[in-house]
Amino acid sequence: MADQMLEKVRDAFEGQIDFEGQRLSELITTVLLGAAGIIAFIVGYINQDIYQTLWIGLAGTTLTFFAVVPPWPFYNKNPLPWLPPHNAISGLDIEVDGKRVG
Amino acid sequence: MHSTLVRVQNVFGFFTTVAFSVAAIVALSVIISPQEPSASVRLRNVQVVRGRPHYYSHKKEEYAHIKFDLDTDLSTLFNWNTKQVFLYLAATYPSLKPNEPPSQAIIWDAILPSASAPWHQNHYVHPVPKNSKMKSKASSSSPYPAGEIHLTAQKPKYQITDISGKLQNRTDVVLELGWNVQPWVGALTWANYNDLGFWKGLKGGRSEPFTFPGIKRKEGDLGTAKGGEGNRGKPA
Repeated sequence: MADQMLEKVRDAFEGQIDFEGQRLSELITTVLLGAAGIIAFIVGYINQDIYQTLWIGLAGTTLTFFAVVPPWPFYNKNPLPWLPPHNAISGLDIEVDGKRVG
Repeated sequence: MHSTLVRVQNVFGFFTTVAFSVAAIVALSVIISPQEPSASVRLRNVQVVRGRPHYYSHKKEEYAHIKFDLDTDLSTLFNWNTKQVFLYLAATYPSLKPNEPPSQAIIWDAILPSASAPWHQNHYVHPVPKNSKMKSKASSSSPYPAGEIHLTAQKPKYQITDISGKLQNRTDVVLELGWNVQPWVGALTWANYNDLGFWKGLKGGRSEPFTFPGIKRKEGDLGTAKGGEGNRGKPA
């Protein structure tokens, strides 16, 4: 019971996502931060107000942190199934691509 | 990007790159902002008196007290990236020895804030011109747009002396306007008299040459001007 609780806490803290999710989060980081920087400069330059550049840039960064850092469910849509643990009890019944390997 | 900590590091790392790039573009964007500053400096009155550098000093030095008229239009120095302009008026005169560079001493300065700068007690408060209807306005705001200055018979903030202690009868003194444009991000730029791309050189900005007169009187209240700063007279 205590072990399961600890496991949950550790999973929530580590926030692991699958490989597709990692690719997606990388892309979102680049696009969001880059767009925030470009928009911040353009808006500030048009309005001749450097505070707008500052705040738009910081707001975009905050948004990116919020979108990327937590392990949102859409980062875990393509989980790779692990092979069952190879031990004396279950180790004799493993199939990979239709062939028995265990 | 597999775990929370790695994602935090990645996002923050790319944020620093973006912040630096945007700051660099902002710093470079002022190059295409046209500048055409102009100023006229005139000597109003000059006196030389003998005095002591501080109360307990036995050394007597000569001090020049220079009153001047100043009209500037530096409004084009205030672009979107300007935080403030530090404006100063220096008296320049040849040294006693011909092989030494001329001496320069600042007699008056002012910190001109841009509209985007937060209030600070050291910002210059332009005196309200006499016989104007702007008296009712709050005294903390300038009666002119940023960068525009119209002073007549302005007292100096600083009385100047020379390293030799001798100032009377020195010739070819010129009052010269200078400034630092202090940006929010980017390089500090000085006053320049030459055209550089979109930046026109300063028109005027130098007074006619004059001579420090001989000493007429021994003591007297020179009445150095109080600036708008609240910390005058206190240690820095």
